[in-house]
Amino acid sequence: MSQYIIRRILLIPVILFGVTLLIFGMLSSLDPAERAALYVHDIPKNAQVMDSIIDRYGLDDPFFVQYWHWLTGRVDIDTGEIEGGIIRGDFGYSRSGNTTVAEIIERRFPATVELVLYSIIPLIGVGVWLGIIAAVNHNKFIDQFARIFSILGYSFPSFVFGLLVLMLFYANNGWFPPGRISDWANMIINSAEFTSYTNFITVDALLNGRFDILWDALRHMVLPIITLSYINWALFLRVMRSSMLEALNQDYVTTARAKGVREKDVINKHARPNALIPVVTMAGITIANLLGGVTITETIFNYPGIGSAGASAAVQLDVITVLAFVLLTGLIMLVSNLIVDITYAFLDPRVRLS
Amino acid sequence: MADLLNVSNLETRFNTREGVVHAVNGVSFSLKEGETLGIVGESGCGKSVSVQSILRLIPMPPGEIVGGSAMFQGKDLLKLSMEELRHVRGAQIGFVFQDPMTSFNPVHTIGRQLMEPLEIHLGMNKKQAWDRAVELLELVKIPNPDDRMKDYPHQFSGGMRQRAMIAMALSCSPQMLIADEPTTALDVTIQAQIVDLVKSLRDELGMSIIWITHDLGIIAGLAERVNVMYAGYIVEEAEVKELYKNPQHPYTLGLLKSLPRLDVSEKKRLVSIDGVPPVLFKKPKFCPFVSRCTYRVEKCLQENPPLMPINDHHRAACWVNPQTGKVRE
Repeated sequence: MSQYIIRRILLIPVILFGVTLLIFGMLSSLDPAERAALYVHDIPKNAQVMDSIIDRYGLDDPFFVQYWHWLTGRVDIDTGEIEGGIIRGDFGYSRSGNTTVAEIIERRFPATVELVLYSIIPLIGVGVWLGIIAAVNHNKFIDQFARIFSILGYSFPSFVFGLLVLMLFYANNGWFPPGRISDWANMIINSAEFTSYTNFITVDALLNGRFDILWDALRHMVLPIITLSYINWALFLRVMRSSMLEALNQDYVTTARAKGVREKDVINKHARPNALIPVVTMAGITIANLLGGVTITETIFNYPGIGSAGASAAVQLDVITVLAFVLLTGLIMLVSNLIVDITYAFLDPRVRLS
Repeated sequence: MADLLNVSNLETRFNTREGVVHAVNGVSFSLKEGETLGIVGESGCGKSVSVQSILRLIPMPPGEIVGGSAMFQGKDLLKLSMEELRHVRGAQIGFVFQDPMTSFNPVHTIGRQLMEPLEIHLGMNKKQAWDRAVELLELVKIPNPDDRMKDYPHQFSGGMRQRAMIAMALSCSPQMLIADEPTTALDVTIQAQIVDLVKSLRDELGMSIIWITHDLGIIAGLAERVNVMYAGYIVEEAEVKELYKNPQHPYTLGLLKSLPRLDVSEKKRLVSIDGVPPVLFKKPKFCPFVSRCTYRVEKCLQENPPLMPINDHHRAACWVNPQTGKVRE
């Protein structure tokens, strides 16, 4: 088993290498002038500026030379220092964010991770729980109700549902504000008396002993968490329900009943562990998708995460930033796939022992 | 000896989308203490459903036990509360299923599954249950039982799994074992091992057995009495030797004729029964076997024959005596 995990981890850089080739390959579909034009205002007057950009950054070099420079960096003509190079952690300068891409990721990714991790608890927990209840009460009222309830959420576009809860719980009474943190808290966070250990505000607030800031951060996350959970519940409910129904029809469940096992234990100890296996795969994909950017939800709630940053970069044709975000998403997918496979093995001895 | 189990007029049906399927239609039989009863019949004739109905193990819905009773030690199993029934299942009646490949839970170790009934019914703690489970695996002749306890079902061969299944069914020393085609999914040499194992365990532990099979050969060496089932009815019941010597229902006769025999020297083609058993959406007013029967007479289409006594230990549900070809009085 450990051998398998090591092999999988060693594979990650190899696959990532392929991902970089693909991403950079897409970039080469733009010709040098098109890429340079993004950084130049009033092009007809400044044609020579464009040429100098192309020249300076080697935008007309052969594909593999450019790719190599993107990977490892390139000696700057003026300063003589190496600049760029994603393996050095330098993803370039983000025009849309007015700072380096690395800094955007450092600042914004923790915000998204925080939101996603808190959302996953109700999302998977309630989804799976509803699925089990629906399966155990197959075709009874509670089954129908759970299905209708969740399919309603599934049919809501997140921007509609998001606006609805904003209206109900913010516009009317100001209970749960949008954004990530209140201004007063933000000032404290950026002051010297507050140390940011992790950039997860809730964790940092706890570590600094500032429960008022923790409470403020949580209040800001309530609405996006509700939105993300509700619009995704149906997925988990349906998968859990159907795999639970399947498990309940298996011979080993009859065996368990024939042994005199309590119905509660038949469901929880015999059917559920088997039924959870397909849910794990889906949970992995969902978490990876959410981490890759909950673009719409973040935009609606004005939440400064990676999704809203990616959206504004894309709108402003900020290719360098988009490239970095795509790469990050690829990495998240790879890691979450690995975690899914390992979890799989824990749940299913047939996988673990073969 | 006293009756351990007395089933009477058991009636089970399935309410499916296509209609009501009458799977078991008024089945009555009894099992004495220490006795082995065979139930034979081809697939879909209601053998499994009738014994699973006794412990209410059929899925409900769509299954529904419409009527009858199953008296076991003075209690009607069909009327017990779920909680009372749970203390009978596994504790007083052990159950072995057909397919050892799917009857164990793939995510739990064999040991854990063996220990479960011991902890539930005998109140053993983990340590006691473990020791007892190892003994049980030893009893069913699994080598290195202590190590094999930690194995998962997929690490056991089919025969070993079925033996472990038997160990599990017998773990709480039940008075009665129901074996629902326990050898059907196994190859012939393993079948013989399992049958021998059950025989020796029966002699050792003195329990009663209901053994369901479609293999008349196995029944011959194992059971004292046999019920032949067809389309949810018992069509013939007799002591095992009597049944082989003097079958009184055309269906039994057909089953026996389709068996290869070593004691007859002349080479003959085996005879098969044409057709398949009917799916009963309605309880027939005629004999359910009539469409496949070569002995049929006018009366077979007018009235479904009840079980009629042939002699003290033998009853059959047929208007015709297939040995003589004459209509019964």
